[in-house]
Amino acid sequence: MKALRGMLACLLICNLASPLPMAAAPPAASGKRTAPASQLQNDQRILQALNRFTFGPRPGDLAAVRAMGLDAWFEQQLHPASMDESALNARLARFPVMQWSFRDLIFRVPPNPVLRQAMNGRFNVPPSGVLHAVYENGIYREQQRRAGKFNPPAPAGPPPAMQPPPEAGSPPPGQPDAQAMALAAGMDSLDGTSQSDAILALPPQQRLDRLAAMQPPDFEAFLRSLRPPQRRQLTAGMPPGLCEAVQDLENPQRLVVSELLAERLTRDIYSDAQLQEVMTDLWLNHFNIYLHKNELMPYYLASYARQTIRPYALGKFQDLLEAVAHSPAMLIYLDNAQSTGPHSLAAKRFARASFRRPRLRRQEPPGLNENYARELMELHTVGVNGGYTQADVIQVARVLTGWTVERPLMGGSYLFNPNRHEPGAKKVMGKKIKGHGEQQGEALLHMLASSPATAHFLSQELAVRFVSDNPPPALVDRMAKTYLASGGNISAVLRTLYHSPEFWAASNYRAKVKTPLEFVVSAARATNANVENFQPLIGALNQMGMPLYGCIPPSGYGWNAATWVSTTSLVDRMNFSLALAANRFPGIRVRFAPENANPAMANPQQQEAQLERMLIPGGVSISTRSAALEQFRSRWAKAAPLRTANLMRRPNTAAPGLTPLEREDQMLAGLLLGSPEFQRR
Amino acid sequence: MNRRFFLHKGALAVAGTGALPNFLVRSILAETNVHPGRRLVVIFQRGAADGLNVVVPYREKNYYAMRPTIAIPQNRVLDLDGFFGLHPSLASFKPLYDAGHLAVVHAVGSPSMNRSHFDAQDYMESGTPDNKSTTDGWLNRALQAEDACACARHRQEHTAFRALALGAQVPLTLAGRIPAIALNNVNGFSIAGRGPAFSPAAQAFEAMYADSGDRILHAAGDQTFDAVKMLRAADPAQYAPAIGANYPTTEFGNSMRQIAQLLKANLGVEAAFTDVAGWDTHQNQGGVNGQLANRLADFSASIAAFWRDMGDDAGDITLVTMSEFGRTARENGTAGTDHGHANVMFVLGGDVKGGKVYGKWPGLSEEQLNQGRDLALTTDFRTVLGEVVTHTMGAENLNAVFPGARLDPAGFLRMT
Repeated sequence: MKALRGMLACLLICNLASPLPMAAAPPAASGKRTAPASQLQNDQRILQALNRFTFGPRPGDLAAVRAMGLDAWFEQQLHPASMDESALNARLARFPVMQWSFRDLIFRVPPNPVLRQAMNGRFNVPPSGVLHAVYENGIYREQQRRAGKFNPPAPAGPPPAMQPPPEAGSPPPGQPDAQAMALAAGMDSLDGTSQSDAILALPPQQRLDRLAAMQPPDFEAFLRSLRPPQRRQLTAGMPPGLCEAVQDLENPQRLVVSELLAERLTRDIYSDAQLQEVMTDLWLNHFNIYLHKNELMPYYLASYARQTIRPYALGKFQDLLEAVAHSPAMLIYLDNAQSTGPHSLAAKRFARASFRRPRLRRQEPPGLNENYARELMELHTVGVNGGYTQADVIQVARVLTGWTVERPLMGGSYLFNPNRHEPGAKKVMGKKIKGHGEQQGEALLHMLASSPATAHFLSQELAVRFVSDNPPPALVDRMAKTYLASGGNISAVLRTLYHSPEFWAASNYRAKVKTPLEFVVSAARATNANVENFQPLIGALNQMGMPLYGCIPPSGYGWNAATWVSTTSLVDRMNFSLALAANRFPGIRVRFAPENANPAMANPQQQEAQLERMLIPGGVSISTRSAALEQFRSRWAKAAPLRTANLMRRPNTAAPGLTPLEREDQMLAGLLLGSPEFQRR
Repeated sequence: MNRRFFLHKGALAVAGTGALPNFLVRSILAETNVHPGRRLVVIFQRGAADGLNVVVPYREKNYYAMRPTIAIPQNRVLDLDGFFGLHPSLASFKPLYDAGHLAVVHAVGSPSMNRSHFDAQDYMESGTPDNKSTTDGWLNRALQAEDACACARHRQEHTAFRALALGAQVPLTLAGRIPAIALNNVNGFSIAGRGPAFSPAAQAFEAMYADSGDRILHAAGDQTFDAVKMLRAADPAQYAPAIGANYPTTEFGNSMRQIAQLLKANLGVEAAFTDVAGWDTHQNQGGVNGQLANRLADFSASIAAFWRDMGDDAGDITLVTMSEFGRTARENGTAGTDHGHANVMFVLGGDVKGGKVYGKWPGLSEEQLNQGRDLALTTDFRTVLGEVVTHTMGAENLNAVFPGARLDPAGFLRMT
C-alpha cells in the first residue's frame, strides 16, 4: 500500500511537470503593462475562445485553432457562409421533414387543426397512398379523443398549451376502456403476435405499405401490441423518408416535435459554424417561444430558427427584430395576431353587427392585447428600465394592431390587416410615430432597434453570455458604443468583445457555469459522440429544467450560475455523464480509443491523462484527478501481470464485448464529465 | 363579511382575544408558538393568475359588466359567504373551506406598480417590492430569523432538507444564506444507481466536489451528497399516497405528491416551495370551462390531494399560495385579461382560521379601480406571509424577513 501511495505521488508530480496546462495553476503573468488584470496566454486563450464562442471544444479543436491562428479562427466564425458544412448537412438530411416548405409540412404531416378540418369535410383527404392513411389514422385518433371527452372526466389536466413536451417513443395516450376492450375482443392475441412478427420481418418499403394499408383501429391495436424491442424494429433498416412516414402514420405532430428538437441539437453538436449556432441559440432564447402554446406552434417553430433567427444571428439586430415581428410564431405566442384597434374598422363592423344581432352583444368587442407590446420593449429591445410606462405599452400595442397571421390555425403567414389597425397618431416614449398603418410598426421597430437603451440591454446580455455573470460595466459600455456606431451590427459588437482585455482576463477563465444545454451539448462534442437518437439528450434537458423550446414565459432561460447550480442539477449531470460515457443511452455511441493498443503498457494514469486531454483540454485539478483514480487503487495493488491478463480478457459479462480496459476508460470518462471542471466553460 | 385574520390556535388565539400588550404577545409566541413539527409549504402561481375569476365577487354588478364573455355566472360559482364564490373548477377547495382549514385573502398582493412578470415575481419572491438589490428570498430570511430567535431551541438540528424546492432550480424565494436544495424527482435522486451502498463512482464524485476549490460547486456538492445519503436512508419510495389522495397526473400534481412524500419521510423539511406555471391568460382565457378552468382544476385537485395525503400531519402544515400580480378587471379584446394589480391568496392549514374571505374589499366601480383598470390593493402580501412565518417558524424579527415593510404582529393578528 505504501508503495502504491508513492507511485501515486510520483504520477501526480509527473503530471504536474507535463506540458498540460493545469486548471488550478494561475496563468503566467502578463508582460503587458496596459493589461488591467492578469491576462490569459497561449492555449488558455484558445480554450477561452472555444469555450465561449462554441458549444465546447471537440477533441482536436485546440490543435486546429493553434495551427490556424486564433484571430483567423474567430473571423472565420463570424463568416459562417464561407465554411464547408457538408458533414453537418449529411446529418441534417436525416430530417427531410424539417426542410419542407410550410405548406408541405401542414399538408403532409397534418397537425390536429388540419385533421379536424378534414374530419368536418372542409379539407380534402388525399385519395390514396400512405398520406391517405396518415389522415385516416389522424381522424380516427381525433374521433377517439372526442369520444373520450364524454366519459366521466379524469382528473383535469392542463390544456394543450400547458402540457410538458411529449416524449417520443412513449405509447399513444390511453383510450376509453370500452374501446380497448372491444379491440382486444376482436383480436386473438396469439395470432396478433405472430402477425406482428410477420409485419416486422418485411423489407422496409413493404413494411411501410403494409402499415399504411391497415384500418386505423387495427393500426392502433397493432402499435399497442408491440413490445419495446419490437417497436424499435418497426423502422429498422428504413431510410429517413420511410422512417418519417411510419412516424407520420403514428402521430404527425409528434414527428414534427421530435425532428424540430433533433435538428436543433444536431446543429449545436455537429455544426462547424459554432458561433452562428451559439448566437442562434442566444437569439432563440432572447426571442423565446414556447413550443406548446398551441397545436400549430411546433410547425411554426420548424421555420423559426431556419428563416427568422439564424440568417440574422450575426447580422444587424434590426433585421432580426423585424424578422421576429413578422413571424407567425411570435405574433401567435405573444397574442398580437389577435389584437385589434378599439376604433378600427373591424371593431366598428363588430359594433354594427352586434346591433343587428343581439346574440353578439354578449361578446366583448375585439380590442387590444398588450402582451407583445410589453415584451417587445421589456425583453426584446430597451429592457425593463428602458424608460417606458404603462401608457407607452398601450401606445405600442395600438401601433402594432393589424400585425397578424392569415388563417393561423391552418398555418398561414404574416399579414397586415388594415381593418384591424387602430387609426390615428401614436406617441411612444415621447416620440411621435411616423407614417400610417403598417409603416407605423416599421418605424417603431426602427426606433426601438436604434435606441441607446437597446444597445446597452443587448450588450449586457451578450457580455453575460460570453464573459461573466457580472460583466464589467466598462466593457458593456464599449460594446453598446459599437452597437450604436455600427447601426446595430451584432458581429461588430462581438468583435469589440473579442478584442477587449476583459474577455481575456485570467479571472474570467472558466468563470461561467454551463447551462444544462451547454453541458449536454459540450459532453456530446467532447466525447465525439455519434448521436443517432436524440431522445436521451432531449430527456436529459427536460429533467435538468431546460427543455428546448420549453420555457413557458417569454423571458427565456437565465444564463447565470445561480440559476443552474442546484443539488438536483448536479445529480442529473453526474448520472448523465456516467451514462453517456458507458454507452447506456440507446442510439448514442462514444468510443475512447486507448492510445496504447497494448494493454501491458497501459496504466490508469496514462488512461486518465489521455482522457483528460480529450475531454477537458484545459486540465483538471489534482483533487479531481486523484478522486477519479482512487477507485483503481485496489486494482493496481494486484500484480501487474495479472492486471495485464485481466485487461486483455474479453468478453465481459457486465458489458459484453468490452475489455476491462475499455470499461475503465468509460468510468474515468464519466467521472471527468461529471467533475466540477467540466461544469464550467 | 368577516375581515379578520386567520390564525387561531395557541398563542395567536390568545393574542387575538383581546388587547394584550405587545411584550406579552411576544413572550407567548416565544413559549408556545413553535414546535418541531411545523412546516410551511409555499406555492407560486407564475404568470399572474386572474384572481377575479378565481374567487369571484359575484355580487358585484360591475364584475359582470366588465367581463361579458369570461365572467363566471352567479349560478355557477361555489358560494363562500354570500358575496364571493369560488370558480367551479375549485370544487375540491370547497370542503376545505367549509371545514375551516382554508382561508381566502382577497385584494391582496404586492404594492409595486410594476407590470412586468419577471420584476414582479422577483419583488414578491425577495419580499422587497421595488427594491432590485435584494439577492435573497423572504423564505430564506424567515429561516434565518428562526435561527436568530429565542425559540430556536426547538430546532437546534437542521438537515439538508430544511429548505426544499421541488423543481430543477432553487427559486429566489428560497435563495440566501440558509442552504436550500432543489429536487425534481424523488425517485431519481441518487448517483450511479440505487443500491444500498454508495457506488465507487458516487464516492469518486463526492471526493471531487468535497475537495474542489470551486466555491460554488463545492457548496452545491456538499449539499447534494448530504441530501442523497439522507434520502437513501429514508427510502421515501415506501410512502405511497394515502387512500383517497388522488393527485392529478400533471407536473404540479407530481410536485405536490413528492412534497408529501418527503414530508412523510421525516427528512427535516421545514419549508417547501414549488411553483405552477401557465396563468398568463392574455387570450381565450375561458369562463366556467377553458384555459383558466383547467389550470384551476389541476391547482385545487393537487392541493386537496396533498392535504388528504398528509392525514393527521396536516394539522402541522401551513400552505400559502401567491401570484405576482392580478389581471385587468375588464377582459381585453381577445377574450383574455392583461396585467393588473391586486389578486387573491389562499392559506390552508391546521392552525388557520379558515372558512372566511379576509381583506377589505375595494369594489369594482370605475373610481375604485387601480389606475382605472385593476382590482385595487388593500392588503400587502407581506402582512399575510409575516403572520404565516411568525406562526410556523417562530420568526420573531419580521423586519429582518420583510425589511421596510414595518409589519406589526399585534396589528394584523388582532382579531375582533
